[in-house]
Amino acid sequence: MWNGEKSITLSKCCILFFMCVLLAVVVSAPWLINWFILFSQAGLEGTEFFFKATIYVGFIPAACLLYSLLLLLRRIEDGQVFITENVERLRRISWCCFFGAGIALVSVFYYYPWLFVMVAAAFMGLIVRVVKNVVAQAVALKDESEYTI
Amino acid sequence: MPIVVNLDVMMAKRKMSSGELAEKIGISQANLSILKTGKAKAIRFSTMEAICRALECQPGNILEYRDLDEG
Repeated sequence: MWNGEKSITLSKCCILFFMCVLLAVVVSAPWLINWFILFSQAGLEGTEFFFKATIYVGFIPAACLLYSLLLLLRRIEDGQVFITENVERLRRISWCCFFGAGIALVSVFYYYPWLFVMVAAAFMGLIVRVVKNVVAQAVALKDESEYTI
Repeated sequence: MPIVVNLDVMMAKRKMSSGELAEKIGISQANLSILKTGKAKAIRFSTMEAICRALECQPGNILEYRDLDEG
């Protein structure tokens, strides 16, 4: 039967999968970019360096985000949900999204579709930020209720 | 916080131990300790009522407002 524990395990598996994908993309970036430029037929010759730079720099926030998500899930698994550390973790995740959006925005100058990645990352960052605010309020409420004698 | 809990003072006046008071008002010693050390964020009327009954005092004997800016 499906339960919260299995749901967390599934989320962790998804994160690990995305970590593997991220690692595979970074390792195979030179070949991937060459293949993409050859088959895109969008006249992207000469932009290999920029694509590599975007992928390698983008690896940093993406890796931080996935690692933070994993730590967050571990805490939730331990039953530590509404704690200050999780608020901080969510704040970091949100900034990772915004940092990724910034990288995508800079990359728009050589490849316009990065704009979609930028909007998606910024929107995701915004959503996580709102969730962070909600959790921060929940932590304060929990604190108050625990210290009401 | 400018609200000071003078529970210790009242307990000393009535010569009552923490364990005894906790038992009389029906809360755990850990919660009583939170109250005594001023870590509590709020106090229920029912708890206050029980404390006043056990210590034979008024809420004002337990809670005190001190303006911290006055020094």
